[in-house]
Amino acid sequence: MKRLPLTPRNNWQKQVEKLGFGFHTTNVPYWDESACYEFSMDEILLIERASAELWDLCLGAVQYVMDNNLYHYFAIPETFIPYIERTWQEDHPAIYGRYDFCYKDGVPKLLEFNADTPTSLYEAGIIQWYWLQDFDKSKDQFNSVHEKLIDYWKYLHAYLYPGNLHFTCVKASLEDLTNTEYLRDCAIQAGLTTKLVFIDDIGWDTNAQVFVDMEDTPIKNIFKLYPWEWMVTEEFGVNILADKNKTFWIEPAWKMLLSNKAILPILWQLYPDCPWLLPAYFEPGRLTDYAKKPILSREGANIELVRGATTLHSTPGAYGAEGYIYQQLATLPDFDGNHPVLRSWIIGQEPAGMGIRESTTLVTDNLSRFIPHFIS
Amino acid sequence: MKKTKQISLVLITAALASCHRSNNQDWVNANGEHRKVYIRSDSTAPYTQMFHPFGALLWYYAFRPYGHYDYFGYRRVGYYSSAISQHSNIGTNAAKSGIIRGGFGSGFSVSS
Repeated sequence: MKRLPLTPRNNWQKQVEKLGFGFHTTNVPYWDESACYEFSMDEILLIERASAELWDLCLGAVQYVMDNNLYHYFAIPETFIPYIERTWQEDHPAIYGRYDFCYKDGVPKLLEFNADTPTSLYEAGIIQWYWLQDFDKSKDQFNSVHEKLIDYWKYLHAYLYPGNLHFTCVKASLEDLTNTEYLRDCAIQAGLTTKLVFIDDIGWDTNAQVFVDMEDTPIKNIFKLYPWEWMVTEEFGVNILADKNKTFWIEPAWKMLLSNKAILPILWQLYPDCPWLLPAYFEPGRLTDYAKKPILSREGANIELVRGATTLHSTPGAYGAEGYIYQQLATLPDFDGNHPVLRSWIIGQEPAGMGIRESTTLVTDNLSRFIPHFIS
Repeated sequence: MKKTKQISLVLITAALASCHRSNNQDWVNANGEHRKVYIRSDSTAPYTQMFHPFGALLWYYAFRPYGHYDYFGYRRVGYYSSAISQHSNIGTNAAKSGIIRGGFGSGFSVSS
Protein backbone atom coordinates (compact mmCIF):
# COMPACT_ATOMS: atom_id res chain seq x y z
CA MET A 1 0.00 0.00 0.00
CA LYS A 2 1.52 3.28 -1.11
CA ARG A 3 0.22 6.83 -1.02
CA LEU A 4 0.94 8.81 -4.17
CA PRO A 5 0.53 12.60 -4.35
CA LEU A 6 -1.25 13.67 -7.54
CA THR A 7 -2.30 16.74 -9.44
CA PRO A 8 -6.11 16.76 -9.51
CA ARG A 9 -7.81 16.77 -12.89
CA ASN A 10 -8.61 20.18 -14.35
CA ASN A 11 -12.20 21.02 -13.49
CA TRP A 12 -12.57 17.83 -11.49
CA GLN A 13 -15.50 19.44 -9.70
CA LYS A 14 -17.38 19.67 -13.00
CA GLN A 15 -16.43 16.09 -13.86
CA VAL A 16 -17.89 14.67 -10.67
CA GLU A 17 -20.93 16.98 -10.69
CA LYS A 18 -21.80 15.66 -14.14
CA LEU A 19 -22.12 12.28 -12.49
CA GLY A 20 -24.59 13.65 -9.97
CA PHE A 21 -22.02 13.88 -7.16
CA GLY A 22 -23.03 17.12 -5.50
CA PHE A 23 -21.42 16.79 -2.08
CA HIS A 24 -17.78 16.59 -3.18
CA THR A 25 -16.93 19.61 -1.04
CA THR A 26 -18.51 21.01 2.10
CA ASN A 27 -16.54 23.39 4.30
CA VAL A 28 -13.58 21.17 3.52
CA PRO A 29 -12.91 18.86 0.55
CA TYR A 30 -14.60 15.49 0.80
CA TRP A 31 -13.67 13.98 -2.55
CA ASP A 32 -9.89 14.41 -2.68
CA GLU A 33 -7.89 13.40 -5.74
CA SER A 34 -4.73 15.25 -4.72
CA ALA A 35 -3.52 11.80 -3.74
CA CYS A 36 -4.38 8.18 -4.35
CA TYR A 37 -3.43 4.80 -2.93
CA GLU A 38 -1.73 2.05 -4.86
CA PHE A 39 -2.15 -1.61 -3.90
CA SER A 40 -0.63 -4.78 -5.21
CA MET A 41 -2.98 -7.52 -6.38
CA ASP A 42 -1.81 -9.73 -3.50
CA GLU A 43 -2.84 -7.06 -1.00
CA ILE A 44 -6.24 -6.75 -2.61
CA LEU A 45 -6.73 -10.51 -2.67
CA LEU A 46 -6.03 -10.62 1.06
CA ILE A 47 -8.51 -7.81 1.81
CA GLU A 48 -11.06 -9.63 -0.33
CA ARG A 49 -10.42 -12.90 1.50
CA ALA A 50 -10.74 -11.23 4.91
CA SER A 51 -14.03 -9.64 3.85
CA ALA A 52 -15.46 -12.94 2.65
CA GLU A 53 -14.40 -14.84 5.77
CA LEU A 54 -15.71 -12.15 8.11
CA TRP A 55 -19.11 -12.33 6.46
CA ASP A 56 -19.39 -16.00 7.41
CA LEU A 57 -18.23 -15.26 10.94
CA CYS A 58 -20.74 -12.44 11.28
CA LEU A 59 -23.61 -14.70 10.29
CA GLY A 60 -22.43 -17.20 12.89
CA ALA A 61 -22.33 -14.45 15.50
CA VAL A 62 -25.91 -13.40 14.75
CA GLN A 63 -27.08 -16.97 15.27
CA TYR A 64 -25.09 -17.14 18.51
CA VAL A 65 -26.69 -13.96 19.86
CA MET A 66 -30.14 -15.35 19.13
CA ASP A 67 -29.44 -18.82 20.49
CA ASN A 68 -28.07 -17.40 23.73
CA ASN A 69 -30.47 -14.49 24.08
CA LEU A 70 -27.72 -11.86 24.32
CA TYR A 71 -29.87 -8.94 23.24
CA HIS A 72 -29.25 -7.04 26.46
CA TYR A 73 -25.77 -6.21 25.19
CA PHE A 74 -27.28 -4.45 22.18
CA ALA A 75 -29.79 -2.09 23.86
CA ILE A 76 -32.53 -3.32 21.57
CA PRO A 77 -36.12 -2.85 22.78
CA GLU A 78 -37.45 -6.22 23.93
CA THR A 79 -40.60 -5.83 21.89
CA PHE A 80 -38.54 -6.05 18.71
CA ILE A 81 -36.74 -9.29 19.51
CA PRO A 82 -39.36 -11.65 18.02
CA TYR A 83 -39.47 -9.48 14.91
CA ILE A 84 -35.68 -9.49 14.56
CA GLU A 85 -35.67 -13.27 14.85
CA ARG A 86 -38.45 -13.59 12.30
CA THR A 87 -36.53 -11.53 9.74
CA TRP A 88 -33.56 -13.85 10.32
CA GLN A 89 -35.48 -17.12 10.20
CA GLU A 90 -37.44 -16.05 7.13
CA ASP A 91 -34.28 -14.78 5.50
CA HIS A 92 -35.61 -11.34 4.64
CA PRO A 93 -33.74 -9.75 1.76
CA ALA A 94 -30.47 -7.95 2.50
CA ILE A 95 -28.18 -6.38 -0.04
CA TYR A 96 -25.05 -4.85 1.42
CA GLY A 97 -22.68 -3.91 4.22
CA ARG A 98 -19.29 -2.30 4.68
CA TYR A 99 -16.35 -3.26 6.88
CA ASP A 100 -13.98 -0.61 8.16
CA PHE A 101 -10.46 -1.97 8.35
CA CYS A 102 -7.26 -0.75 9.89
CA TYR A 103 -4.71 -1.99 7.34
CA LYS A 104 -1.20 -2.17 8.74
CA ASP A 105 1.71 -4.54 8.21
CA GLY A 106 -0.20 -6.20 5.41
CA VAL A 107 -3.11 -7.40 7.59
CA PRO A 108 -6.62 -5.90 7.64
CA LYS A 109 -8.14 -5.71 11.13
CA LEU A 110 -11.85 -5.13 11.57
CA LEU A 111 -12.65 -1.87 13.34
CA GLU A 112 -16.41 -2.12 12.84
CA PHE A 113 -19.06 -3.39 10.46
CA ASN A 114 -21.52 -0.88 8.99
CA ALA A 115 -24.11 -3.50 8.22
CA ASP A 116 -27.28 -1.45 8.25
CA THR A 117 -26.79 1.99 6.71
CA PRO A 118 -23.34 2.20 5.11
CA THR A 119 -22.73 5.26 2.96
CA SER A 120 -20.06 6.33 0.42
CA LEU A 121 -21.27 3.62 -1.94
CA TYR A 122 -21.59 6.03 -4.86
CA GLU A 123 -18.09 7.37 -4.37
CA ALA A 124 -16.66 3.85 -4.13
CA GLY A 125 -18.61 2.38 -7.04
CA ILE A 126 -18.92 5.25 -9.49
CA ILE A 127 -16.84 8.33 -8.76
CA GLN A 128 -13.56 6.55 -8.23
CA TRP A 129 -14.23 4.27 -11.22
CA TYR A 130 -14.61 7.30 -13.50
CA TRP A 131 -11.57 8.86 -11.85
CA LEU A 132 -9.57 5.78 -12.85
CA GLN A 133 -10.72 6.11 -16.47
CA ASP A 134 -9.07 9.55 -16.55
CA PHE A 135 -6.09 8.64 -14.38
CA ASP A 136 -5.11 5.43 -16.18
CA LYS A 137 -7.83 3.25 -17.61
CA SER A 138 -5.40 0.38 -18.14
CA LYS A 139 -5.11 0.04 -14.36
CA ASP A 140 -7.30 -2.16 -12.23
CA GLN A 141 -9.33 -1.24 -9.15
CA PHE A 142 -11.00 -3.26 -6.38
CA ASN A 143 -14.45 -2.27 -7.53
CA SER A 144 -17.26 -4.43 -8.86
CA VAL A 145 -19.85 -2.50 -6.84
CA HIS A 146 -22.01 -1.54 -9.79
CA GLU A 147 -22.38 -4.91 -11.48
CA LYS A 148 -22.80 -6.72 -8.18
CA LEU A 149 -25.59 -4.36 -7.14
CA ILE A 150 -27.45 -4.91 -10.40
CA ASP A 151 -26.91 -8.66 -10.25
CA TYR A 152 -28.08 -8.92 -6.66
CA TRP A 153 -31.19 -6.82 -7.21
CA LYS A 154 -32.01 -9.20 -10.05
CA TYR A 155 -31.51 -12.13 -7.72
CA LEU A 156 -33.64 -10.58 -4.97
CA HIS A 157 -36.46 -9.80 -7.37
CA ALA A 158 -37.91 -13.29 -6.96
CA TYR A 159 -37.89 -12.98 -3.16
CA LEU A 160 -39.74 -9.65 -2.96
CA TYR A 161 -43.49 -9.20 -2.85
CA PRO A 162 -45.00 -8.38 -6.27
CA GLY A 163 -45.21 -4.65 -6.98
CA ASN A 164 -43.01 -1.70 -6.19
CA LEU A 165 -39.74 -1.62 -4.39
CA HIS A 166 -39.77 1.68 -2.52
CA PHE A 167 -36.62 3.55 -1.55
CA THR A 168 -36.43 5.95 1.36
CA CYS A 169 -34.01 8.26 3.15
CA VAL A 170 -34.13 11.62 4.91
CA LYS A 171 -34.79 14.74 2.84
CA ALA A 172 -32.22 17.05 4.33
CA SER A 173 -29.09 15.19 3.25
CA LEU A 174 -27.87 15.16 -0.33
CA GLU A 175 -25.37 12.48 0.61
CA ASP A 176 -28.11 10.15 1.78
CA LEU A 177 -30.25 10.90 -1.25
CA THR A 178 -27.32 10.22 -3.60
CA ASN A 179 -26.61 6.84 -2.02
CA THR A 180 -30.28 5.92 -2.09
CA GLU A 181 -30.83 7.04 -5.66
CA TYR A 182 -27.77 5.14 -6.75
CA LEU A 183 -29.14 1.94 -5.25
CA ARG A 184 -32.45 2.69 -6.93
CA ASP A 185 -30.68 3.28 -10.23
CA CYS A 186 -29.18 -0.21 -10.00
CA ALA A 187 -32.55 -1.71 -9.04
CA ILE A 188 -34.16 -0.10 -12.09
CA GLN A 189 -31.42 -1.57 -14.28
CA ALA A 190 -32.17 -4.93 -12.67
CA GLY A 191 -35.75 -4.68 -13.89
CA LEU A 192 -37.50 -3.70 -10.65
CA THR A 193 -40.28 -1.14 -10.46
CA THR A 194 -39.21 1.49 -7.94
CA LYS A 195 -40.55 4.56 -6.17
CA LEU A 196 -38.84 7.09 -3.95
CA VAL A 197 -40.57 8.23 -0.79
CA PHE A 198 -38.78 10.27 1.85
CA ILE A 199 -38.74 8.70 5.27
CA ASP A 200 -40.82 11.42 6.91
CA ASP A 201 -43.39 11.25 4.10
CA ILE A 202 -44.11 7.60 4.78
CA GLY A 203 -47.68 7.29 5.94
CA TRP A 204 -49.38 4.88 8.29
CA ASP A 205 -52.90 3.92 7.28
CA THR A 206 -54.65 3.66 10.61
CA ASN A 207 -57.55 1.74 9.12
CA ALA A 208 -55.72 -0.80 6.97
CA GLN A 209 -52.72 -0.97 9.36
CA VAL A 210 -50.17 -0.72 6.58
CA PHE A 211 -47.47 1.72 5.55
CA VAL A 212 -48.24 3.82 2.46
CA ASP A 213 -46.38 6.17 0.16
CA MET A 214 -47.44 9.65 -0.93
CA GLU A 215 -50.09 8.23 -3.27
CA ASP A 216 -51.39 6.03 -0.50
CA THR A 217 -50.03 2.99 -2.32
CA PRO A 218 -49.23 0.32 0.25
CA ILE A 219 -45.54 -0.24 0.85
CA LYS A 220 -44.55 -3.90 0.76
CA ASN A 221 -40.86 -3.81 -0.10
CA ILE A 222 -38.71 -0.89 0.95
CA PHE A 223 -35.02 -0.14 0.95
CA LYS A 224 -34.29 2.30 3.76
CA LEU A 225 -31.16 4.33 4.25
CA TYR A 226 -32.19 5.01 7.81
CA PRO A 227 -30.92 3.15 10.85
CA TRP A 228 -32.92 0.59 12.71
CA GLU A 229 -31.85 1.99 16.06
CA TRP A 230 -33.68 5.20 15.18
CA MET A 231 -36.68 3.51 13.63
CA VAL A 232 -37.46 1.33 16.63
CA THR A 233 -37.62 4.33 18.94
CA GLU A 234 -39.62 6.64 16.68
CA GLU A 235 -43.39 7.02 16.73
CA PHE A 236 -43.96 4.66 13.78
CA GLY A 237 -41.55 2.03 15.08
CA VAL A 238 -44.24 -0.01 16.78
CA ASN A 239 -46.24 0.00 13.55
CA ILE A 240 -43.58 -2.23 11.99
CA LEU A 241 -44.76 -4.93 14.40
CA ALA A 242 -48.43 -4.28 13.60
CA ASP A 243 -47.95 -3.98 9.83
CA LYS A 244 -50.50 -6.22 8.09
CA ASN A 245 -48.35 -6.36 4.95
CA LYS A 246 -45.34 -7.71 6.84
CA THR A 247 -43.25 -5.39 4.73
CA PHE A 248 -39.73 -6.36 3.73
CA TRP A 249 -37.46 -3.63 5.10
CA ILE A 250 -34.04 -3.72 3.46
CA GLU A 251 -31.67 -3.97 5.25
CA PRO A 252 -33.65 -6.35 7.47
CA ALA A 253 -33.97 -5.93 11.22
CA TRP A 254 -31.45 -8.67 12.08
CA LYS A 255 -28.77 -6.33 10.71
CA MET A 256 -29.32 -4.36 13.93
CA LEU A 257 -27.07 -6.91 15.59
CA LEU A 258 -24.20 -6.59 13.14
CA SER A 259 -24.26 -2.81 12.89
CA ASN A 260 -24.02 -2.54 16.66
CA LYS A 261 -20.50 -2.48 18.10
CA ALA A 262 -21.61 -4.98 20.72
CA ILE A 263 -21.04 -7.57 18.00
CA LEU A 264 -17.27 -6.96 18.24
CA PRO A 265 -16.74 -8.63 21.67
CA ILE A 266 -19.07 -11.44 20.59
CA LEU A 267 -17.05 -12.04 17.44
CA TRP A 268 -13.85 -12.07 19.49
CA GLN A 269 -15.31 -14.46 22.03
CA LEU A 270 -16.37 -16.84 19.26
CA TYR A 271 -13.37 -16.56 16.97
CA PRO A 272 -10.24 -15.58 18.98
CA ASP A 273 -7.96 -17.14 16.36
CA CYS A 274 -9.32 -15.11 13.48
CA PRO A 275 -6.48 -12.95 12.09
CA TRP A 276 -8.92 -10.22 10.97
CA LEU A 277 -10.34 -9.52 14.44
CA LEU A 278 -9.05 -7.37 17.26
CA PRO A 279 -9.56 -8.47 20.88
CA ALA A 280 -12.69 -6.76 22.19
CA TYR A 281 -14.58 -6.89 25.48
CA PHE A 282 -17.62 -5.47 27.18
CA GLU A 283 -15.75 -4.94 30.44
CA PRO A 284 -13.17 -2.20 31.01
CA GLY A 285 -9.81 -3.24 32.43
CA ARG A 286 -9.10 -6.20 30.14
CA LEU A 287 -6.86 -4.17 27.81
CA THR A 288 -4.15 -1.60 28.48
CA ASP A 289 -4.16 -0.10 25.00
CA TYR A 290 -7.68 0.21 23.68
CA ALA A 291 -10.35 2.10 21.80
CA LYS A 292 -13.45 2.78 23.89
CA LYS A 293 -16.44 2.89 21.55
CA PRO A 294 -20.15 3.44 22.20
CA ILE A 295 -22.17 0.47 20.98
CA LEU A 296 -24.26 2.92 18.98
CA SER A 297 -22.46 5.89 17.47
CA ARG A 298 -21.94 7.39 14.06
CA GLU A 299 -19.09 9.11 12.25
CA GLY A 300 -16.46 8.55 14.89
CA ALA A 301 -18.33 10.29 17.70
CA ASN A 302 -17.51 9.62 21.37
CA ILE A 303 -14.45 7.47 20.65
CA GLU A 304 -11.56 7.43 23.09
CA LEU A 305 -8.16 5.99 22.14
CA VAL A 306 -6.02 5.05 25.13
CA ARG A 307 -2.46 3.77 25.35
CA GLY A 308 -1.48 2.84 28.89
CA ALA A 309 -2.30 5.82 31.04
CA THR A 310 -2.40 8.23 28.10
CA THR A 311 -5.43 9.25 26.10
CA LEU A 312 -4.15 9.56 22.53
CA HIS A 313 -7.32 11.00 21.09
CA SER A 314 -10.94 11.48 22.02
CA THR A 315 -13.89 12.79 20.09
CA PRO A 316 -17.00 14.62 21.25
CA GLY A 317 -20.54 13.54 20.59
CA ALA A 318 -23.91 12.66 22.02
CA TYR A 319 -23.59 8.87 22.07
CA GLY A 320 -22.75 6.43 24.82
CA ALA A 321 -25.95 6.20 26.83
CA GLU A 322 -26.47 2.60 25.65
CA GLY A 323 -23.02 1.45 26.79
CA TYR A 324 -19.50 0.94 25.45
CA ILE A 325 -17.16 -1.76 24.25
CA TYR A 326 -13.38 -1.87 24.55
CA GLN A 327 -11.38 -2.93 21.51
CA GLN A 328 -7.63 -3.40 21.35
CA LEU A 329 -6.01 -0.25 20.06
CA ALA A 330 -5.10 -0.43 16.38
CA THR A 331 -3.78 2.96 15.41
CA LEU A 332 -4.28 3.76 11.76
CA PRO A 333 -1.22 3.84 9.48
CA ASP A 334 0.45 7.21 9.09
CA PHE A 335 1.26 8.55 5.61
CA ASP A 336 2.78 11.96 6.36
CA GLY A 337 0.03 12.77 8.81
CA ASN A 338 -2.75 11.15 6.78
CA HIS A 339 -4.53 8.18 8.35
CA PRO A 340 -6.50 5.95 5.97
CA VAL A 341 -9.28 3.52 6.83
CA LEU A 342 -10.07 0.85 4.23
CA ARG A 343 -13.78 0.36 3.72
CA SER A 344 -14.51 -2.96 2.11
CA TRP A 345 -17.93 -3.60 0.62
CA ILE A 346 -20.00 -6.77 0.82
CA ILE A 347 -22.76 -6.90 -1.77
CA GLY A 348 -24.98 -9.92 -2.11
CA GLN A 349 -22.81 -11.77 0.43
CA GLU A 350 -19.63 -11.30 -1.62
CA PRO A 351 -16.74 -8.83 -1.40
CA ALA A 352 -17.42 -6.15 -3.97
CA GLY A 353 -14.90 -3.36 -3.73
CA MET A 354 -13.25 -0.78 -1.55
CA GLY A 355 -13.20 2.91 -0.74
CA ILE A 356 -10.68 4.75 1.42
CA ARG A 357 -11.42 7.52 3.90
CA GLU A 358 -8.46 9.51 5.08
CA SER A 359 -8.23 11.72 8.13
CA THR A 360 -5.59 13.87 9.76
CA THR A 361 -6.50 12.38 13.12
CA LEU A 362 -6.57 8.79 14.35
CA VAL A 363 -10.36 8.70 14.31
CA THR A 364 -12.21 8.82 11.01
CA ASP A 365 -14.97 11.39 11.31
CA ASN A 366 -17.33 13.39 9.13
CA LEU A 367 -14.48 15.59 7.90
CA SER A 368 -12.50 12.68 6.51
CA ARG A 369 -11.71 12.71 2.80
CA PHE A 370 -12.48 10.04 0.23
CA ILE A 371 -9.27 9.08 -1.61
CA PRO A 372 -9.36 6.91 -4.77
CA HIS A 373 -7.19 3.86 -5.29
CA PHE A 374 -5.87 1.58 -8.02
CA ILE A 375 -4.16 -1.79 -8.29
CA SER A 376 -0.68 -1.77 -9.76
CA MET B 1 -9.53 -7.82 -13.34
CA LYS B 2 -11.29 -6.58 -10.25
CA LYS B 3 -13.08 -3.62 -11.67
CA THR B 4 -16.43 -3.23 -13.36
CA LYS B 5 -16.05 -3.29 -17.13
CA GLN B 6 -18.64 -0.72 -18.03
CA ILE B 7 -20.96 1.54 -16.06
CA SER B 8 -24.19 3.09 -17.19
CA LEU B 9 -26.55 5.11 -15.04
CA VAL B 10 -30.20 5.58 -15.87
CA LEU B 11 -31.48 7.76 -13.09
CA ILE B 12 -29.06 9.35 -10.76
CA THR B 13 -27.21 11.96 -12.79
CA ALA B 14 -30.35 13.63 -14.06
CA ALA B 15 -32.10 13.37 -10.73
CA LEU B 16 -29.33 14.81 -8.65
CA ALA B 17 -27.43 17.21 -10.87
CA SER B 18 -29.71 20.13 -10.16
CA CYS B 19 -30.88 19.59 -6.62
CA HIS B 20 -27.88 20.33 -4.44
CA ARG B 21 -28.03 24.10 -4.40
CA SER B 22 -30.32 26.06 -2.21
CA ASN B 23 -31.20 29.67 -2.90
CA ASN B 24 -32.48 32.05 -0.30
CA GLN B 25 -33.53 34.91 -2.62
CA ASP B 26 -37.15 33.95 -2.27
CA TRP B 27 -36.92 34.11 1.48
CA VAL B 28 -35.00 37.34 2.02
CA ASN B 29 -35.78 40.80 0.64
CA ALA B 30 -33.31 43.32 -0.82
CA ASN B 31 -32.48 44.59 2.66
CA GLY B 32 -31.63 41.13 3.88
CA GLU B 33 -34.77 40.96 5.98
CA HIS B 34 -36.68 37.75 6.19
CA ARG B 35 -39.93 37.81 4.25
CA LYS B 36 -43.00 36.68 6.07
CA VAL B 37 -43.94 33.40 4.42
CA TYR B 38 -47.06 31.52 5.39
CA ILE B 39 -47.82 28.10 4.01
CA ARG B 40 -50.57 25.54 4.11
CA SER B 41 -51.11 22.50 1.94
CA ASP B 42 -54.88 22.31 2.18
CA SER B 43 -57.47 25.06 1.92
CA THR B 44 -59.23 23.67 4.99
CA ALA B 45 -56.09 24.04 7.12
CA PRO B 46 -54.59 26.99 9.01
CA TYR B 47 -51.36 28.59 7.83
CA THR B 48 -47.92 28.04 9.35
CA GLN B 49 -45.26 30.74 9.21
CA MET B 50 -42.10 29.43 7.57
CA PHE B 51 -38.48 30.51 7.93
CA HIS B 52 -35.62 30.17 5.53
CA PRO B 53 -34.25 26.64 5.70
CA PHE B 54 -30.69 27.65 6.55
CA GLY B 55 -28.43 24.71 5.92
CA ALA B 56 -31.29 22.60 4.66
CA LEU B 57 -32.02 21.78 1.07
CA LEU B 58 -34.96 23.21 -0.74
CA TRP B 59 -36.62 19.96 -1.67
CA TYR B 60 -37.37 19.57 1.98
CA TYR B 61 -39.95 22.30 1.45
CA ALA B 62 -41.45 20.81 -1.67
CA PHE B 63 -45.12 20.02 -1.83
CA ARG B 64 -45.73 16.55 -3.08
CA PRO B 65 -48.89 15.33 -4.72
CA TYR B 66 -51.03 13.32 -2.46
CA GLY B 67 -53.86 11.00 -3.44
CA HIS B 68 -54.98 7.44 -3.69
CA TYR B 69 -56.22 4.80 -6.07
CA ASP B 70 -59.71 3.38 -5.83
CA TYR B 71 -62.15 1.57 -8.09
CA PHE B 72 -62.36 4.57 -10.40
CA GLY B 73 -58.63 5.12 -10.67
CA TYR B 74 -56.33 7.70 -9.13
CA ARG B 75 -57.86 10.52 -7.11
CA ARG B 76 -55.81 13.54 -6.21
CA VAL B 77 -56.56 14.58 -2.66
CA GLY B 78 -54.18 17.51 -2.52
CA TYR B 79 -50.61 18.23 -1.56
CA TYR B 80 -48.48 17.51 1.43
CA SER B 81 -45.20 18.83 2.79
CA SER B 82 -43.42 17.48 5.80
CA ALA B 83 -41.79 20.87 6.31
CA ILE B 84 -45.04 22.09 7.84
CA SER B 85 -47.07 20.76 10.71
CA GLN B 86 -49.67 18.03 10.42
CA HIS B 87 -52.14 20.74 11.42
CA SER B 88 -51.38 22.79 8.30
CA ASN B 89 -51.26 19.75 6.06
CA ILE B 90 -54.62 18.24 6.79
CA GLY B 91 -57.06 20.69 8.32
CA THR B 92 -60.56 19.28 8.15
CA ASN B 93 -59.95 17.37 4.90
CA ALA B 94 -61.46 13.98 5.77
CA ALA B 95 -59.82 12.28 2.80
CA LYS B 96 -56.43 12.95 4.34
CA SER B 97 -57.22 12.07 7.89
CA GLY B 98 -57.12 8.25 7.73
CA ILE B 99 -53.41 8.34 7.14
CA ILE B 100 -50.86 9.90 9.41
CA ARG B 101 -47.36 10.88 8.39
CA GLY B 102 -44.17 12.03 10.02
CA GLY B 103 -43.76 9.11 12.40
CA PHE B 104 -40.32 8.35 10.98
CA GLY B 105 -37.55 10.76 10.15
CA SER B 106 -36.48 12.58 13.27
CA GLY B 107 -32.84 11.81 12.43
CA PHE B 108 -30.77 14.15 10.29
CA SER B 109 -28.35 12.10 8.16
CA VAL B 110 -27.06 8.58 8.41
CA SER B 111 -23.62 9.35 6.98
CA SER B 112 -21.18 6.66 8.07
